[in-house]
Amino acid sequence: MNLLAYVRIWLASIRYSVVRTMMFRFDFFLWIAVDISWMAVNLFLVEVMFQHVDSIAGWDKPEMILLVGTAMLVMRLFMTFFMTNLFSIDRSVREGTLDFYLAQPGNPLFMLATRRIELDGMLNSFVALGIVVYAAGQLGIQPSPLEIITYGFLVFCGLAIHFGTMVMLVGLAFWITRVQGIEGGYFALFDLSRLPRPALRGLMEVAFVYVFPAVIISNFPSETLIHGVRAWQIAWLGGIAVAWFAAGATFFHLGLKRYSSASS
Amino acid sequence: MIAVLTKYRHVFGMGLQNALVYRWNFIMRVAFSLLHLAAVAVLWRAAYANKASIGGFSFEETMSYFLLLIVANYLISAFNEDYQIGEEIRGGTINQFLTKPINYYTYRLTLFFASRAVTGVIVFIPLVLLLPLLGDYLPQNVEVWRWVAAIPAFALAAIIQFSIAYCFGLLAFWFLEIQGFVILSFAIETLLSGQIFPLDLMPEPLYRLSHWLPFYYQAYFPVGLLTGRIESIGEAHSGLLIQLAWTVAFIVGGGVLWQFGLRRHTAVGG
Repeated sequence: MNLLAYVRIWLASIRYSVVRTMMFRFDFFLWIAVDISWMAVNLFLVEVMFQHVDSIAGWDKPEMILLVGTAMLVMRLFMTFFMTNLFSIDRSVREGTLDFYLAQPGNPLFMLATRRIELDGMLNSFVALGIVVYAAGQLGIQPSPLEIITYGFLVFCGLAIHFGTMVMLVGLAFWITRVQGIEGGYFALFDLSRLPRPALRGLMEVAFVYVFPAVIISNFPSETLIHGVRAWQIAWLGGIAVAWFAAGATFFHLGLKRYSSASS
Repeated sequence: MIAVLTKYRHVFGMGLQNALVYRWNFIMRVAFSLLHLAAVAVLWRAAYANKASIGGFSFEETMSYFLLLIVANYLISAFNEDYQIGEEIRGGTINQFLTKPINYYTYRLTLFFASRAVTGVIVFIPLVLLLPLLGDYLPQNVEVWRWVAAIPAFALAAIIQFSIAYCFGLLAFWFLEIQGFVILSFAIETLLSGQIFPLDLMPEPLYRLSHWLPFYYQAYFPVGLLTGRIESIGEAHSGLLIQLAWTVAFIVGGGVLWQFGLRRHTAVGG
């Protein structure tokens, strides 16, 4: 299948998702409220901490809001396009319904990962972006077009890292009967995205800045807006994003070779 | 009485076996909780960089709070009981309980305690292994009255946590999908039970208001007893009374929802 065919399939999935969302409008508004409440929890933590301190690892309150907003933006984009689809791989493997996707034309990972988009996640992505814009306004930041494009590119790299990580976690379903609880590890890992990079020292710095890039996913885009474009950050995060995406896809296809379909 | 206890003893055994099947999932979950603790430590250490105390507590005392919170979560928190109850209602497997001499709330509560017995033991394994690192952050010199108050506080907190999950699970009598309600409630509970930050760091009016809400007693109150955030015996006494009142309220509420839910429920086949 060529690229155009994949685009058509994806657009069909989007149409299906929109129709499905409009059939369950109450659910749509409920999930918007759910996610906004989680974003409010994260912002309330920043608010409460800054009632007692003036800065955290050299980041002041608006900078922390920008950082948390960026972390939330990347996660909401991931929730929009991929999270629900990838979370359900575990059940598909366990119940044998993965066969349905294997029988479809196209790459199985693509078919599984893009079958639905969550419109509530898309709306909440705009809310998270609004938080970023608010924080930038508080800092008096007026980013140039290059800085905005770089910010967008780095957020996209973060999305790719989220994708690769989640695929590796749910791919464990090919080896372990249930990955429930392990998927919770995704949230624990990306909890770290709320941390300012200078706060990490020693083993934590090695692990979550250099090995697993949870911290730089949010820090590099935020630093782009605060301090300007840095080519080494683009190269670093871009390279890591390609590596993690490739690792996730490879791991998934290795797991697929172990899969015994329900019909055989 | 003995027959009733024997009946639920078998349920408890069943719950233990069920929980042990997924012990590796629990171990992974504990590992990720410790990762969360590491993230919390990084954030609060940075906050304490230029301050000896925040809210009257040192960094070590704040970490004691979060460490004990993780242990408490594995001892008393509900994990998926709401979904399981919802699935039983949706799938019709709840019908078997309607014709048997078994109280569904007690049945599920027994399974809950069995599962927490397993997770409560599992959480201590990594803690013992990490004791050289975490020793400084364990609560120090805890007075006897705190331990005496903490035991019923933890027990009641467990029942409140389960009862809230039970009530949400029963929403499946009315709604096809309860996940949204559960996660919305989880967000509120996470904030107001002190999972994100110790509640005493909130502005005073909000902190006083939180005393009257059930979430305060889900985790913050029992953990606060052992970490010194509940300052006096008087405060502990009034807290236990309010906690008991909320426990009774949720048990009664669950019973009312059950009765109303059964009126809507249709059992087909058999």
